[in-house]
Amino acid sequence: MIAVFFQQALNGIILGSLYMLVALGLFLIFGILEVTNFAHGEFYMLGAFATLFVMTGLGAPFLPAVVLAMLCMAAFGIVVERVVFRPIVGKPLINGMLLSFGLSTFLTNAALLLFTADPRKIESEFAQVHLRFLGLHVTLERLLALAVGTALVGFLAYFIQHTKTGKAMRAVAQDRIAAQMAGIPVFRIYAVTFAIGSMLASAAGSMVGAIFLVSPDMGWTVVLKAFIVVILGGMGNIRGIVCASLCVGLVESLGGGFVSYAYKDAYPFLLLVLAFLLRPEGLVGGRKA
Amino acid sequence: MNRAGRWIAALCTAAGLLCVPALFSLDYYLHIFVMAGIHAMLAISLGLIIGFTGQVSLCHAAFYGIGAYGSALASLTLGLPFWLAMWAGGLSAGVLSYALGRLVLRLRGHFLAITTAFFGVLVTVVLNNWVSVTKGPMGIPGIPRPGLPVFLGSWTTFESRVSYYYLVVAFVAGIAYLAYRIVGSRLGRALIAIRENEELAQSLGIETMRYKVFAFTLGGGLAGVAGAFYAHYILFISPVTFTIGESINILVMVVFAGMTTLAGPIIGAAILTILPELLRMAGALRLVIYGLTLMAFIVWMPQGIVGAVRELTTRTRTGKPGG
Repeated sequence: MIAVFFQQALNGIILGSLYMLVALGLFLIFGILEVTNFAHGEFYMLGAFATLFVMTGLGAPFLPAVVLAMLCMAAFGIVVERVVFRPIVGKPLINGMLLSFGLSTFLTNAALLLFTADPRKIESEFAQVHLRFLGLHVTLERLLALAVGTALVGFLAYFIQHTKTGKAMRAVAQDRIAAQMAGIPVFRIYAVTFAIGSMLASAAGSMVGAIFLVSPDMGWTVVLKAFIVVILGGMGNIRGIVCASLCVGLVESLGGGFVSYAYKDAYPFLLLVLAFLLRPEGLVGGRKA
Repeated sequence: MNRAGRWIAALCTAAGLLCVPALFSLDYYLHIFVMAGIHAMLAISLGLIIGFTGQVSLCHAAFYGIGAYGSALASLTLGLPFWLAMWAGGLSAGVLSYALGRLVLRLRGHFLAITTAFFGVLVTVVLNNWVSVTKGPMGIPGIPRPGLPVFLGSWTTFESRVSYYYLVVAFVAGIAYLAYRIVGSRLGRALIAIRENEELAQSLGIETMRYKVFAFTLGGGLAGVAGAFYAHYILFISPVTFTIGESINILVMVVFAGMTTLAGPIIGAAILTILPELLRMAGALRLVIYGLTLMAFIVWMPQGIVGAVRELTTRTRTGKPGG
C-alpha cells in the first residue's frame, strides 16, 4: 500500500512537471498579452508531432529532436502572435477567447487531416531503461521528463529575473503603456513571449509523446488543466505555478490510483472548489505577473 | 422604431415564422429549423448572462445537458408527462447553476471563464461515468414524445416535424418575451449597470452578487428547459451532445450577431445552425473552414454583425453619433 502510494506520488510529480511547462506558457501569454490562449494545447500537440517527424525523418536521437522541435515551435509561435493575436490586443477578453477557440479548432482539424487520427508513439531510446530504487519503479524516460521540466523552469526563472528582455517582459506585464513610454519595444516582447510559451509547450508535448501517445486531439484536456494551475498558482509568480502544478499532478495521480480512475479528470476542479471555500476572498491576490 | 412599427415588425415576423412549414415541407429542413429554435433558446439564455450582465460563462452546454437528463429521467423513471418533466429539467439545471454561481461569480473575466469551462468538463465526466443513473456513454434511448391533453382535439402527441416546429417557435417566443420583459425592467437596468461598471453599480447600492447569481440561475434554468425540449424531440440523449465544444458553439452564436441586443442571439443561432449544414459538402475540411472563419470574423467584426452595421451607418450618416 505504502509502495503504491509513493509510486502514484512519483507519477503525480512527473505529471505535474508536464502541466507546469504548459501552464508557464499560458501564464506568460496571459500576463503579458492579457489573452487566454485556449489554443496553447495545440502548440503542445504540434511540438510532439514535430519531435516525432524529426526523429523519423532525420533519424535524430530523442533529445536533439526535442530541441529542434522547440526551435521550430518558437518560430511558429512568433508567426501566430503576429498574424492571429496582434490584431486583437487590447480588445475585450471574449474576443481573444473566441479567437483562440477558432485557432484551436483549425489546428486540431488540420492536424487530423494531415497526420490522421491514429495515435502514435515517439520511440525514444530511454524507454527501455528501467530504474528501480526503494521499491519504486520508473523508466528513465519519465525521470527525463522531470529533469527537463526542472531545467526549463530554472532557465525561465533566471531569464525573467536577470536578463534585460526578462525585465522588459515584467515591465510590460505591469503596465503596457508605461513600458512603451520607457522605450520598451512592446510588440517584440509579445513575440518573445509567444516564442517562449510555444517552446515550453513543445517540450512538454514531446515528453508526453514519448511517455504516452501523440494524437491531434491531445491538447484540449491539457490546456484546461494548465489553466486550473494558472488560477491556483494565483497569477503571482513562477513559484506559485510550480507549486500549483505539483498539487494538480499529485491530486490527479493519487485520486486516480486510490479513489476512482474514471473521475481523474474531475479532481483538479474539486481542488479549485476547495481553494474557493478556504479562501473565499478569492485566489487572485491583486497582483499579476 | 416607434410602438406601432414595433408591433408591425413583430406581427410580420410571427406571420413569416408560421408560414415556414408551408414553404419548406421537407423533414430535413424542418429539423434544421427546430434545431435553430433550440439553439435560439440556449443563445437567449446565455445572452442574459454574457450580453446583459457581462459575465463570461463557458459551461452553458452543461446546464443544457443537465436539463435534458433531468427531464428524460423524470419522464422515464417517474412516468411524468413532458409538461411536468420539463420543469424537472429546468429546475435541476437552475438549482445547479445557482450553486455554481454562488461559488464562482465572485471571480472576474478570464478566471470566471476558465472555472466555468472546467465545470463543463466535470459535468461531462459525471455524465459519462455515473452509469447507474445516466447509462454512461451509451446514452438514454426511448424518451417519450410530448403529449397534449385530449380535449384539445385528436392531435394528442407531437409526431410530425411540423408540430415540433410550432412547439419550438412557441417556446422561443416565450423565452424571448421573458428576456424582453426582464431587460426592459429595473432588474435589467441593474444587470446592464453591472456589465458596464461593477464597482460603480455596487457604489450605487446594487447588490451585484445577488443580481449576477440571479442572471446566472435564470440563464442556466432556461438552458435546462432547452435541454428538456431537445431530449423530448430527438428522443435519445448521450454525453457527446453536451461537451465544452457545444458551450463554445452557443457562445459564438451569442457573439456572432451582437451580444448586447435581444435579437442578436436569435439571429446568431439561426445563421450558425444553417451555415454548418451548408458546409457539410466540404466534408473533412468542414471544421478547418469553421475555425478559419471564426478567426477571420473575430479579427474583422469584433462587435458582431449588429456592431459592424451600426458602425457603417454612423459612418455614412456623418455628424450623427452611433447608437
